[in-house]
Amino acid sequence: MLADIITPDLFASALRMATPLALAAIGGTICERSGVVNIALEGIMLCGAFAGVAVTLAVGNAWLGVLAAVLAGVVIAAIHAFTSINLRSDQVVSGTAINILALGLTGFLMEILYGHPGTTEAVTTIKPIFRFASERGGGGFVAEVWHWVNTILFSHTPIVYMAIIIAIAMQWAMYNTRWGLHLRALGEHPRAVDTVGVSVLKGRWIAVLISGALAGLAGANLTLEQVGSFTENMTNGRGFIALAANIFGRWTPVGSYGASLLFGFADALQIKLQIFRGEINIPPQFFLMLPYILTVIVLAGVVGRSVGPAAVGKPYEKG
Amino acid sequence: MPLLELREITKVFPGVLANDRVSMRLERGEIVALLGENGAGKSTLMNVVYGLLTADGGEVLVDDAPVKIKSPRHAIDLGIGMVHQHFMLVEPLTVTENIVLGREPGRLGVIDFATARERVREISERYGLRVDPDAKIIDLSVGMQQRVEILKALYQGARVLILDEPTAVLTPQEVTELFTVVRSLVDEGLSAVFITHKLEEVVAIADRILVMRDGKVVGETTPAATDEIGLARMMVGRDVVLRIEKGASKRGATVLEVEDIHVDDDRGLEAVKGISFSVSGGEILAIAGVDGNGQRELVESIVGLRRPKGGRIELKGNDITHANARASIEAGVSHIPEDRHRRGLVLEFDIAENIILGDHRTPPVARNGIMHPKAITEVARKRIADYDIRTPSERVDAENLSGGNQQKVVVAREIGRNPELLVAAQPTRGLDVGAIEFVHRQIIRERDAGKAVLLVSLELEEVLSLADRILVIYEGRIVKEFAVADADAETLGYYMTGGGGSKIDKDAIPGTPETPATGGDE
Repeated sequence: MLADIITPDLFASALRMATPLALAAIGGTICERSGVVNIALEGIMLCGAFAGVAVTLAVGNAWLGVLAAVLAGVVIAAIHAFTSINLRSDQVVSGTAINILALGLTGFLMEILYGHPGTTEAVTTIKPIFRFASERGGGGFVAEVWHWVNTILFSHTPIVYMAIIIAIAMQWAMYNTRWGLHLRALGEHPRAVDTVGVSVLKGRWIAVLISGALAGLAGANLTLEQVGSFTENMTNGRGFIALAANIFGRWTPVGSYGASLLFGFADALQIKLQIFRGEINIPPQFFLMLPYILTVIVLAGVVGRSVGPAAVGKPYEKG
Repeated sequence: MPLLELREITKVFPGVLANDRVSMRLERGEIVALLGENGAGKSTLMNVVYGLLTADGGEVLVDDAPVKIKSPRHAIDLGIGMVHQHFMLVEPLTVTENIVLGREPGRLGVIDFATARERVREISERYGLRVDPDAKIIDLSVGMQQRVEILKALYQGARVLILDEPTAVLTPQEVTELFTVVRSLVDEGLSAVFITHKLEEVVAIADRILVMRDGKVVGETTPAATDEIGLARMMVGRDVVLRIEKGASKRGATVLEVEDIHVDDDRGLEAVKGISFSVSGGEILAIAGVDGNGQRELVESIVGLRRPKGGRIELKGNDITHANARASIEAGVSHIPEDRHRRGLVLEFDIAENIILGDHRTPPVARNGIMHPKAITEVARKRIADYDIRTPSERVDAENLSGGNQQKVVVAREIGRNPELLVAAQPTRGLDVGAIEFVHRQIIRERDAGKAVLLVSLELEEVLSLADRILVIYEGRIVKEFAVADADAETLGYYMTGGGGSKIDKDAIPGTPETPATGGDE
């Protein structure tokens, strides 16, 4: 049975499951590094997921849907940026409000646009980039290795690869560019940044908008590449798991991606185990709990030793 | 031609005239000291120059040209750099990253770290400010961090260096180093403004001294033309007693008896390694030592904030070794903590609330677990009057008071409780001369009222002027006892830095049998 569970499929699925988490987590990393807590990732992702489907259904082009998802993410993030940076309101309250707003807004728009709650019609999903034949004649060891490599690495849709590229690019940018240095300083000591003539306001706005774009993209991956339709509250806590991944990844893009892989693997395993629930005598609800339990364990075990940006969550007041 | 000139700068905060037509000049290669009590308007003035605040009147001239400095960036572009009292350094970043922040070398947004590091090294060698360009700020000592701040200003091209209370956080040795650095910078052609309230520093470093009081310049002088007493008078506006006269001690019965206590620090290392002493009523016992030799742990164990792992502490014959803070207060111990912001006050609470903390369970402030606002107001107003706390009302939040007034709130609360034993840990840290005089008078008044006082201080002047008896602490042990008449700063300093050898002077420990010092037990 173990051979049935540990298959190339499981790892490919882990990578898929990790993608929306990773994108949102990297967004969370960038946002928090600038000093703004973004608990609204969940809601932003949900809005992105909805906008992606809605636009795809309307115009029939999934890539325009992706663009719409990203823009929706940016727009919702702008609300968070305005309240927490300009109005200096409590960032957790603002984020929570956006999460509730997102839930209500998407449900409301479902009724308006499609006349019913629940799930939208299906859209044509974005297909995997590569289509190499998994079977290469002859069989044997080489064929087996190829089968694993092909399934795990080359079976994915574009946004999955995008997420990997984004993680690496952001990591590089954070430690090699002016933007990155300013970002790292912003969340630690905004006044120090201000006194050398770099705008705290602008820096934080940009960071929050980037996090919105990434969370929106995460939503697009969910609906336009994975599921193919939108269901109310379909993000189902992924935004929060992404926040945990960001912390577990010690506020770095690559770390966030790595942590997301772990959560993605838990999710993939959980799905796989569902298939074998007849043989394993454990109620399926327990499998469903797996990613969330892992989140709790990770947060309880690791966060105590992980130190975030010093000024995160604190509104900056000039003068 | 002056490098920097201020003409009649006026700055008004709601209800306060922080700068009242202040004028000053700074020539090339000159150190001007801005001397004044906390709240005299020194920092406000310099924040105007640095573009953090906008003046309501007057003008700033750089190289004889009038300028409106709108932001720190603008000030930096004009060649004005500032080393803030609270460092503007990003702790997890490296020295290089901090120095180049905002002016990174590189192309297309990509930082050229090799060049950055090279430039940092260049400047640090040119001015003799050695520092590891790749070290993280968080791993550096405070003195080193300040050096990075100075390097940052130099990197940005500062010709004028404003140093805001630069010695407040430094050890005496670091202060000496800083003075050398500032001198050599000025020899290189820079100019410096040195903000401080410490008289001896002004005399040591300044070419010219500008004294400020209540937002105005009240005098200009040079170190040669005045002395500390004269400066103190200008600064406070009245005669200030730098060293208070006190009568002979009338020693009463023993109040505090500490017997062979051992205390661990936060890391679990033994910080107090077997200390014994006693304090009598009517006596001030001072513990002198360099910071970090076990003073904090010793004080905390006596006032119930830290549990000693061995030994015995008695107050008037009652065992308080394992008392917590509440039991300790109830037993009659008052504590002026070394850090008034972290331990002395709840900054977000108002004066009235702060001034009754610790009394908040007992009448008249509270009865049967319910607090009485009217009684609190009464107690607060009385203490505010008794201890001369300058505030418009008892409802002002503690964080809005000056340092001196904050400390007065702590002193009013702790002494107002009428304790048997007053434990004062660095009670005048960061205070200006007027406030220091006040706190010293209160401590002596307690002694003269027959109370026992345990003073822990890093300032030798303070120890010598207040104490009746002095114990020198070094590496968690008492290495020497002095009667104040036999002590002078030099001898104290010698023992404080381990000069007496690490042997324990058995004579210093009351209650231990007279045995010849064996020496070298470490």
